[in-house]
Amino acid sequence: MKYSNPEIPEGINTSTQHPLKEFFLLTGGILGTVLAVVVVLTLLADQLAVYIPFELEMELATRVTDEVPAAESESPQIEIYLNGLADKIAAEQALPPEMQITVHYVDDDLVNAFATLGGHLFMFRGLLETLPHENAVAMVLAHEIAHIKHRHPIRSMGRGIIFGLAIGMVSSTLGNAMTDQVLANTGGLTVLKFNRDQESEADQTALNSLYQLYGHVEGADALFEVLERVSGDDQLQMPEFFSTHPLSENRINNIHSFQTEYSAVENRTTMPLPEGYATWLVSAPKK
Amino acid sequence: MLVTNIEIIPGKRITEHLGLVQGSSVRAKHLGRDIMAGLKNIFGGELKGYTELLQESREEAMERMIEQAEAVGANAVLNVRFSTSSVAAGAAELFAYGTAVVLE
Amino acid sequence: MVDLIVFLVLLALGYGFGRYAELKHYKSIIQREEEFRDIPVVTTKFPPLTKPLSDVALVSGSVVISVDYFKRFIAGLRNLIGGRVTAYESLVDRARREAILRMKEEARAFGGHIIFNVKLETSSIHKGRKNGIGAVEVMAYGTVLIKQ
Repeated sequence: MKYSNPEIPEGINTSTQHPLKEFFLLTGGILGTVLAVVVVLTLLADQLAVYIPFELEMELATRVTDEVPAAESESPQIEIYLNGLADKIAAEQALPPEMQITVHYVDDDLVNAFATLGGHLFMFRGLLETLPHENAVAMVLAHEIAHIKHRHPIRSMGRGIIFGLAIGMVSSTLGNAMTDQVLANTGGLTVLKFNRDQESEADQTALNSLYQLYGHVEGADALFEVLERVSGDDQLQMPEFFSTHPLSENRINNIHSFQTEYSAVENRTTMPLPEGYATWLVSAPKK
Repeated sequence: MLVTNIEIIPGKRITEHLGLVQGSSVRAKHLGRDIMAGLKNIFGGELKGYTELLQESREEAMERMIEQAEAVGANAVLNVRFSTSSVAAGAAELFAYGTAVVLE
Repeated sequence: MVDLIVFLVLLALGYGFGRYAELKHYKSIIQREEEFRDIPVVTTKFPPLTKPLSDVALVSGSVVISVDYFKRFIAGLRNLIGGRVTAYESLVDRARREAILRMKEEARAFGGHIIFNVKLETSSIHKGRKNGIGAVEVMAYGTVLIKQ
């Protein structure tokens, strides 16, 4: 009985393929599929969300607005002014009758304004303080009202939910090593493009309504110049690809091209802010 | 190629032992099977998807072992043993090993 | 954005060092297998009765090899698609051959010339987090015959 130990060739239990090749194939394939699926799902969600009736949206909104501190009783004049201006703009944008716009004033240093479900707009003192004339205030209001008109808040919410569900389903099966993070980030970048398109759409509608209201769009870029100034100190500017809004620069250029297209009117003076505007903003007692 | 887990084959004689041969295969499940398994976690019953997966894996491992045995010039593999272990998240390693011999 | 960069750096490190370690290890394994070519290893239980009188001893060899970041990421991706996880195949192959070589080293120290009834045990050592496989351990053991 002979016992021997011959050499066994390599490559039977292992693979001779270079690991990087497999890596690129796998990541490429999966990222591509994830992107495609996310795009399809969010498009679907976007289209379907519009069919949710506005009344239902207002119901949902009552739960959301409870989160933001209400300041109605403290600064009635500013809210009266803003709501009045908003109603004029809403009329110009031909909003359907069931869409009621409610402007809430928030006494906070934050330089921001946003629109949420149910036609609720929130304007922060930090932003209102920086606007130099009524046209700028009107631009901000018109932009947010345009979001409501196009049902952007409910569409964003729908997209967010579907996207979260999809990523969650995939993430639960994966192990560790941040595969789920990578997938979520990739999908997230796709969704950002949707947001940017929405912002551009709102800008366009807002400019149109401003033109109808005042006959010109002078002063509409004041808002973006403020935003650029505020964020200009930040040396590390993210490329547009990674942000939720188009670059302020691009939005200003857009406004200027709108102006040159539609500037038939000679009298293009901006409306000044009403008297007492500054005092209304600081009249709210500080907590 | 004769593959068996006994040592002494009735009526045959071993002329040469050619050492240990091994075959292994690491397979991962995929999303579809995972979702089915998740559902089965609620209802109970045999996880046919996984059974199939591991069976295919085992056959592949045996094939590799036989490939190694042929490479060293054997015509039978005796005393075969199997082992299953999980070495990666969601993947199992199927391992088969035995002694390659020349039978007469 | 920062997580992405950290992730890519870790991936590159895992790939670079892991591949280097693997290639070096394989070279060493192939070289030592040549050295130990005179000690056959079989799974049969019964040495032939006509063998000259020998002493016996239990010998074993074990090794723990850890998984690098690159391999873990690939395994995670494979969990979506299914199929062979070649990154792990090379890992367990290395570990097995190393364990057998260490067993042979011990056999040589005893002065033996053949190892019978070899069995291999594989197990994974978890890091403690869910789905976190830290390392793979392979142990090989058998009985060595020592010519008196």
